[in-house]
Amino acid sequence: MRYESQKIAQNFYTFAVLLFLVQVLVGIIAALQFIWPDFFPLKFNIIRDLHINALVVWLLMGLMGATYYVVPEESQSELWSIPLAKFQFWATVVAVTAVVLGYIWMGFDPQANKFIAGTLLLNEGREYIEAPRWADWLIALSVILFLLNNFMTMYKSKRWTGIQGTLLGGLTFLALMYLPGMFYSKSMVKDQYWWWWVIHLWVEGAWEVIAGALLAFMLMKVTNVERHVVERWMYIEVALVLFTGILGTGHHYYWIGTPRYWLWVGGIFSALEPIPLLVMVWDAFRTTRTHRVVSNRLGLFYATSHAIFNFVGAGLWGVIHTLPQVNKWTHGTQITTAHGHLAFYGAYVLLVMSMIYITLPLIRGAENFNTSRGYRSFWWMTISMIFIVLTLTGAGMVQTYMERLVGLDYVTVKANYNLWFWIFRAIFGLGFLYGVTLFVIDFFKLGREPVEAVATEPSETTV
Amino acid sequence: MSNKGIRNLFIFGSIFFFVIFIGLTIDTMKKVDKRAPKITEEVDAGKKLWHKYDCIGCHTILGNGSYYAPDLTKITVNKPEGYLEKFLVNPRKVKPNAAMPVLGITPEEAKKIVAFLDWVSKVDTNGWPPKPVLARYRVPQIPGATVYEKYNCKACHMINGVGGTSGPDLTHVGSRKPDPEWHKKHIRDPQSVVSDSAMPPFPQISDEELNQLVDYLITLK
Ligand code: HEC
Ligand code: HEC
Ligand code: HEM
Ligand code: HEM
Ligand SMILES: [Fe+2]
Repeated sequence: MRYESQKIAQNFYTFAVLLFLVQVLVGIIAALQFIWPDFFPLKFNIIRDLHINALVVWLLMGLMGATYYVVPEESQSELWSIPLAKFQFWATVVAVTAVVLGYIWMGFDPQANKFIAGTLLLNEGREYIEAPRWADWLIALSVILFLLNNFMTMYKSKRWTGIQGTLLGGLTFLALMYLPGMFYSKSMVKDQYWWWWVIHLWVEGAWEVIAGALLAFMLMKVTNVERHVVERWMYIEVALVLFTGILGTGHHYYWIGTPRYWLWVGGIFSALEPIPLLVMVWDAFRTTRTHRVVSNRLGLFYATSHAIFNFVGAGLWGVIHTLPQVNKWTHGTQITTAHGHLAFYGAYVLLVMSMIYITLPLIRGAENFNTSRGYRSFWWMTISMIFIVLTLTGAGMVQTYMERLVGLDYVTVKANYNLWFWIFRAIFGLGFLYGVTLFVIDFFKLGREPVEAVATEPSETTV
Repeated sequence: MSNKGIRNLFIFGSIFFFVIFIGLTIDTMKKVDKRAPKITEEVDAGKKLWHKYDCIGCHTILGNGSYYAPDLTKITVNKPEGYLEKFLVNPRKVKPNAAMPVLGITPEEAKKIVAFLDWVSKVDTNGWPPKPVLARYRVPQIPGATVYEKYNCKACHMINGVGGTSGPDLTHVGSRKPDPEWHKKHIRDPQSVVSDSAMPPFPQISDEELNQLVDYLITLK
């Protein structure tokens, strides 16, 4: 770390890591509610809202922290305003806490979610963007301040690099794509049409652009690869992401009441979406192989795993159900859940974790740190996630066959045929929770405990 | 190509695809209203209640949402209004082991929600959800079973694992309810024998069909 202001990243990381723990805890409650619907005072919908909102918020916080690290470094200057960054951080924490309390309140008293001035007070009742309108505005304000701070830093230093340009381009796209979720449509068809602009253009557009930029940054940080090489591949990756991903939105417009041509547009373009993700894997491997100077093996290990599981979870698990001929049968089944978990885990959870493992040691001035907990946490999480996803894929195949092809009742399939899958998901969820706990402990101890344990892994200190 | 060239390709190529996307969006917005019935005030009020109670936190609709509860896209095709309204107000009174909680929906609110669900069921979804192509179920060659099929009792009831779960499983109803007279009254007007029953009345069944149907039901032991 070279700039004092990069330390601000730690605030964001800390909040992110704590929310990650909350997300997984409530995920396990949700999993148990598939087996015992009434065992917890808050009903499934509230628990699920907490699970997916905590996920999105902690990933955003992680990406913001990472950006506050990257931009001063790339601009070679201190951040434009540290107080503004701090204000923006605390404002977000307060807004997020208020939203969470609102959900819990609504969980105990659904009637508390009233319409006030045409918008709902506690929960908008739209998946992922459940946060009420007043919170939308606070979040938007926070993101605008965040972008302003970073743009001003770049503008003052007059050093524009490809990496930070792409990173901030992706973040601006992210902020803009929040807007289509902020108005009411009387038609449920239009409602879902615009809703997918937010959800799809985030995860398969803006966020992947951000991932491309951060991958380039990380590769450059831990190997001696030349900037112009990583930036070149970064441009190719993010270009292919948007060329396929924008029209790929059509894979959500097959069956929601939109015209039939979307079957062609969505099918063709989304089937090409795995290509840039494969290029990213190749990029990570090529760089590691040809540039042997590695400063942070654990960080590079996480970054490479991110590239691989981004391809597997988003690319492979996405493409298997993206053609209309397949999606007609699997749409809205547990196959979607399987894909959702592996994609988010591989693409964004591992991305934020690798940024943490690459930048946190530098922030804390601990070039050498005990990596064994970091590896153990990776294996506990990743193996548990693979089994969760295989379990859900099994449940999805049974559901598609029994419900969609044979025509049995949804509730029957869920309660009888799929019961064992729910049990196994909950068990593997505990394994995942153990991995997250290790990670959280590691996060707080990294660089703050004696390093002698490093001696047991000599390769770490010699390279 | 230089890095700058690739960067420009990225920027202008992305704008190009976004412009096409906006064009298709404009065209879609023009067409979607024609692919669905008119939105009345009641439908809109129902949609607002749908959001208020966060139904999407458990259900999918048009295939999107949560995967904890059945998809509601075509729910009003097989389930009559009266039944759905009773279910929404108190799922556990209609179905004692329902996983859906009592949300505090009033009967007036339920009417609006059902109007909204009925609107959704009439949207042209390009044929989704598809008919099950591997349905192996054959109607038993008994006159009563044909009547049971004709009036779609299986939308709500299950016999030997086939059918819906809204009403009780009828696989052994003959041993539970052996009295044919009870069944006749019940089918014609469920509320006359089960107070506040959510099962719809079937006045349209002819006397002959009713006899066959009841003969069939009491053999289910
Ligand atoms: C906590 C989860 C949850 C919430 C919230 C929820 N449901 Fe349900 N709903 C279920 C489950 C689970 C079922 C399946 C039947 C059962 O076991 O209860 C169901 C069944 C239904 C059915 C089908 C009944 C049948 O017999 O076919 C309808 C209609 C329905 N829900 C409508 C709604 C509406 C409208 C809302 C919002 C006002 C809503 N649900 C909110 C969980 C939920
Ligand atoms: C919309 C859903 C629905 C439809 C359609 C429906 N039922 Fe029912 N049925 C119910 C419900 C709910 C109950 C439980 C309340 C009651 O006993 O009336 C029930 C109860 C019954 C019972 C009593 C079961 C018991 O163990 O007490 C019988 C028998 C029955 N229905 C037969 C039929 C027949 C025959 C048809 C077709 C003509 C039919 N039902 C159509 C919902 C439905
Ligand atoms: C990092 C990238 C990705 C993430 C995080 C992601 C995540 C998700 C999530 C969470 C859903 C479910 C949405 C809901 O709850 O309604 C979903 C749906 C879907 N995704 Fe992805 N996805 C990614 C990339 C991809 C790619 C590259 C493809 C195709 C090649 C794809 C294909 C699909 C399809 C077809 C659906 C709809 C499933 C259905 O019909 O039910 N996804 N995605
Ligand atoms: C980092 C890890 C995780 C990520 C990224 C993640 C992500 C998601 C996402 C995106 C959804 C909503 C979309 C969908 O259903 O496809 C979801 C739902 C859910 N998650 Fe997770 N999750 C994670 C961990 C867990 C764990 C450990 C459990 C518990 C075993 C869990 C249980 C659930 C359940 C039960 C649902 C509801 C699914 C449904 O509606 O059928 N999740 N999760
Ligand atoms: Fe998508």
